[in-house]
Amino acid sequence: MKRQRILHCVSVLGIFLILFTACTKIDYTQIAEPAYLRVFNNINYVQTMGSKDDKVPYFCMLINPKTGADGKFTGAEIVGDFLDKRDPYAPPYPSHIGNSNSLSNPEYPGKENVLVGPILNGFDLSSWAQIPSGEVRVVFAYRPKNTVPFFELEERLKNDILIDTVINLQSKEVYTLHLLQKDFVKKDHGILLRQENFYKLPLSDSLVYVNFYNMSAKGFWEADANLKDDDYKLASFRHGIKDEMNVFMSLYESQEVLSHYATTVKGYRGKFMTTVKLNTSTNAVSPYVSFPLWASNKANGIRTDIWQRFDFFASGMNPVTNPFYDSDRNTGSNWAVLNCLLNGKVGLTSNENGTLLPNLLVNVHSGKDNPHTFATVNTIEVVNGRVYLTTIQRKYAPPIY
Amino acid sequence: MKCLGYFFVALLISNLQSCKHDNLTMPVPNENIRPAADFIHNNYEMRLFDAALQKTGLTAELNGEGPFTVLVPNDLAFNEIGIFRPTDFDKMNKDSLRRIIAYHILPRRLYLSDIPSNSVDFRYATREGSELYASLGSLAPGATAPTNMLFFSGAKAIRKDVVLSNGVLHVLDKLMKPQFEKNIQEWLSDKKEYTVFVAGLKKFGLWDQLAQKGPFTVFAPTNEALEKRGVTASFLDGANPEQYIGEVLFGAYIMYDKHFFISDSQVFTIINSNGYYKYYLKDKVHYMEYFANEAYPTWKLSYNMRLRSNDMFNSIILADIIYSVGAKMDYLCSNGVVHDLDKGLVSPDQAIKKEENEK
Repeated sequence: MKRQRILHCVSVLGIFLILFTACTKIDYTQIAEPAYLRVFNNINYVQTMGSKDDKVPYFCMLINPKTGADGKFTGAEIVGDFLDKRDPYAPPYPSHIGNSNSLSNPEYPGKENVLVGPILNGFDLSSWAQIPSGEVRVVFAYRPKNTVPFFELEERLKNDILIDTVINLQSKEVYTLHLLQKDFVKKDHGILLRQENFYKLPLSDSLVYVNFYNMSAKGFWEADANLKDDDYKLASFRHGIKDEMNVFMSLYESQEVLSHYATTVKGYRGKFMTTVKLNTSTNAVSPYVSFPLWASNKANGIRTDIWQRFDFFASGMNPVTNPFYDSDRNTGSNWAVLNCLLNGKVGLTSNENGTLLPNLLVNVHSGKDNPHTFATVNTIEVVNGRVYLTTIQRKYAPPIY
Repeated sequence: MKCLGYFFVALLISNLQSCKHDNLTMPVPNENIRPAADFIHNNYEMRLFDAALQKTGLTAELNGEGPFTVLVPNDLAFNEIGIFRPTDFDKMNKDSLRRIIAYHILPRRLYLSDIPSNSVDFRYATREGSELYASLGSLAPGATAPTNMLFFSGAKAIRKDVVLSNGVLHVLDKLMKPQFEKNIQEWLSDKKEYTVFVAGLKKFGLWDQLAQKGPFTVFAPTNEALEKRGVTASFLDGANPEQYIGEVLFGAYIMYDKHFFISDSQVFTIINSNGYYKYYLKDKVHYMEYFANEAYPTWKLSYNMRLRSNDMFNSIILADIIYSVGAKMDYLCSNGVVHDLDKGLVSPDQAIKKEENEK
């Protein structure tokens, strides 16, 4: 009798279990031969009274779009909707998802829930989306800035195409795709597909790497000031930089001293790094330059507090011959300053003219150390009056609590 | 043990029960919501618009199936242009009244949420056939709560999203003033109050361009305004155009390649915290600073123009005017927008041509 009851109970439990498991269905998506793609919208002009007829640079990206009988887009293999102007900082992992409740996406994949790249040669590619390799058609369509998904918009709003082109992606390669304004006067737009090579280079994990691009529109720095962004935070970058600039770097010892007069690491004050030229047409990767992670002798091999200041000088000038006052913001595009410290939101208190970005170094809890400072691979891109930092991080040991 | 068995059976039943979906009873639509024309007829704030609808015979259509979006200027807005009672409409041409009223009706449902945020001059087709310009200043940079200041062809929506059975209604603080096919030149030459301005434009060779594509924004000074600055018909008769810089004396009233509603400045104040438009006059020396806002003490939308002798901070301010008669702004012509101006900007002695070496 007892046995029967137990059996009864077990069978009921069994039914119960079946009922529950029947509700779960898991679809594993897979892309056979993926390429890894990250998309930035560098079209960063603002609407001002003077440029009120310019279109708002807010897009929907369609990869391999499907067209209906009337030639209009009805769907796409991959849709990156609500693509907004890019954020100043492109972090090493897609942290936008947890930090925002807006639909606007500062990059693709960004907030999209899609398959992302693996750890490739030690580099974390979780900010890159998997895209089918081979020749793919890419369309960027203007869309109004609201919360209606692209394919649910009114018909008349879906026909304004900025770019419709074909790009060729190779399997297991890493690409960044940049949407650019190529000519500020003629308002030409275009894309730049760059095949990145950081994961193929023998980069040391005790050096911090950075490369520079100037992807400004032709004629931006010469253009009238009332057509430019009026954001005071852009400081000396507001008017753009000249087509060829030399980059000098200073490493400051401490992020607690918010001054450009503060102590620098020995040997790293106004050190020449590289030359950056305006380029919106070729997809060559700029060479990486580096500085040691443990440059400061105050560093203990786990944590360092150094921060970076980059001076962009027109050829013929350098930090020693600099003719401008430290606080000069209008330097005729001859000198522009970038301070990379803390989270990129805290400005220096000294009277200077730098714009802000986060520190190139990443501090996280790893192993027993909280925080642990890691070297990174960075890209600094100047687009018109704005500067953007992309940081790529290696895989690191998980924290031990 | 038996208890446990019953428990599982009960659990199973309740588990199965939870999968059952009862038929939902849909809420019956509120039948007391009126169609557009009835709603307007029964609203004491909209008596004059209602009278205009009846006079132009649009009432039946607006009670029809729709959907419609009706942009209703309230009675105060009509009062501002001199219409106080329904009989005042009899003075107007019925056909042109019908066109203007039809311009206030969109053959669609347009809720605030349908208009893209921070959009400027987003166009919607009207019942009349032409398009109106909707501008919505919703989010300021860094703001979390939207401001949602909405304008239709320069008129502010002071009450938004009134739900009708056949559409939606927004209340405007003034009439939209489309001039349809009329260009700025035709519009100005019709008006008696701008004869001196027109004569001056002709004299200094600025008149013909106002019939071209543009767009232009013209701040048209009245005869009295110009007289206070010493510009009269008799002065113009005797004046030698070679002696004066026409682009300053009369060109100061024209913005080239721009079509600004006065409200645009207000919208840009929200969108990027900057509603100013600063530019050089065509002589490339004089510098104009323009903006518009709703300012203390009247909180009426007013525009401000400050004309400087050059762009230096210590330059001479030739004129600094504020204009706030909303009813006489935003005449939307086919090649731009005209606004009334009751003060002159430049007197003739401020626009005398200098010799090259004197500059």
